[in-house]
Amino acid sequence: MLVLDNVSLGYPEQNIVKHLSFSLEAGQICAVVGHNGAGKSTLIRTLLGLQPPLTGTVKWPGGKPRTIAYLGQSAELDNQFPIRVKDVVSMGIWQGLDFWTGLDKAASDKVTEALARTGLTHMADRPLYECSSGQLQRCFFARAIVQDAPLLLLDEPFSAIDQTTEAGLTEIIREWRTEGRAVIIVIHDLSTAMAVSDSCLLLGGGRACFGKTTDILTTDNLLAYHYLSETQAEFLSLLQNSGGSNV
Amino acid sequence: MFEWLAFDFMQRALVSTSVLSVSVAPVGAFLVLRRLSLAGEAMAHAIVPGIVIAFVLFGLSVSSMITGGMIAGIAVALGTSVLARRTLIREDASLASLYLIALALGIFILSAAGSAIPLKSFLFGSALGVGDDTLILIGSTATITLLSFAVMLRPLITATFDPMFFQSQSKQAGLVQHWFMFLLVLNLLAAFKSLGTLMAVGLMILPATAARYWVSTITYYLMLTFVFALLSCWAGLIMSFYLDNVPTGPAIVLVAGSLFLISLIFAPLGLLRGHYVQK
Repeated sequence: MLVLDNVSLGYPEQNIVKHLSFSLEAGQICAVVGHNGAGKSTLIRTLLGLQPPLTGTVKWPGGKPRTIAYLGQSAELDNQFPIRVKDVVSMGIWQGLDFWTGLDKAASDKVTEALARTGLTHMADRPLYECSSGQLQRCFFARAIVQDAPLLLLDEPFSAIDQTTEAGLTEIIREWRTEGRAVIIVIHDLSTAMAVSDSCLLLGGGRACFGKTTDILTTDNLLAYHYLSETQAEFLSLLQNSGGSNV
Repeated sequence: MFEWLAFDFMQRALVSTSVLSVSVAPVGAFLVLRRLSLAGEAMAHAIVPGIVIAFVLFGLSVSSMITGGMIAGIAVALGTSVLARRTLIREDASLASLYLIALALGIFILSAAGSAIPLKSFLFGSALGVGDDTLILIGSTATITLLSFAVMLRPLITATFDPMFFQSQSKQAGLVQHWFMFLLVLNLLAAFKSLGTLMAVGLMILPATAARYWVSTITYYLMLTFVFALLSCWAGLIMSFYLDNVPTGPAIVLVAGSLFLISLIFAPLGLLRGHYVQK
């Protein structure tokens, strides 16, 4: 579905990640983990086709990056923007419409269904500024649902939301897996990464490693890829030895 | 009550400012939404040297004024972009530096050339002295602007609300942004004769900021911005007709400013209704 072959990311004067190779199959959920500056944002821009790789090749589903449904960090958006919740969700299908055409019945049904699936039916006609952080995030999930994309790219989807909302959104991500869609989630919270993803891409120190999440998110790897400091790694080891959590 | 409409110059002013309102309203609305209000003001000053040089070289011709203004506007926009990307100063400081140089240069050339056009007219415009060529310019600008918005309204909304999402979905991301800046400069040039370099942006920004306090959907926002712009023009024209020594441009912008203050206090999303935003 998505294949990166020996890709180097960054800028001509600054190579951020070297020799990155991984492939994603349909129905696979991949967590992308890395310290600040490890290259997560650059990877996102490359996957979206906004920044070409310095070397190597990227093969997208359908041959082009615009088949990806992208869900960015909601904190970067203006939540006072004068728009209704259902119009934000509709943005997911605007691309396929002519300039003058409104949503036909099939498209409207799709939006209504996505709002229902994310629990936002009652907010459909409400202005965006009335949404809480959790509702805002659910609204963007609804937009991703109507995009009906084979591959979804989620950038920190669980930041600034409560546990209940996170559980609901995690359920939607699992449904995407069942539907045969591939999902890439850029994430900081390691326990969520362990709970949600099948595979993991760990970035750090200009390098990358990819594999099963449980094989990748080990204390040694997190230390080697600069995600944890030595003190944090020692603390984690102590926890593990005393029967605590894996990561 | 309508005796002011008996005068040919008032009829022209009414038509020109009304059509101008249709044109500048959507541009102003998106300037506010895109957080470019001050950039709009800066661009209004940036076009001055181009207009002045064209005027000194070719006289009072609308086509040379547009060409000169457009070249100056694009030069400042490109210069800002290059400085912000290639040097240590950021975009706001780059734009401020370049537009201040441009404005000073324009006024300098205008004075040094011993222009027959008074400086006041450049700064504040002369809505009551609009000729046929300016009317045609305003009409053409309004047509281009409305057609452009009809075509790019959805892309512009998406690009404004969620730029990264828009870039991920559309190949035309750069085109939308550049065409919007072109419309901005075109509308500033159209408003230049009536409102001058200092007041032109007033009719764009103030109705748009006032309307923000009343509505929470984009369609109503665009419509109300237009209504406020139109009201400002009509009330400003009447004010300058009946009151002695009141220049039309500042009168129009003052009415728009009053609408802003009223909206700020009394509108549903204003202060009295307790709509505060945590930033």
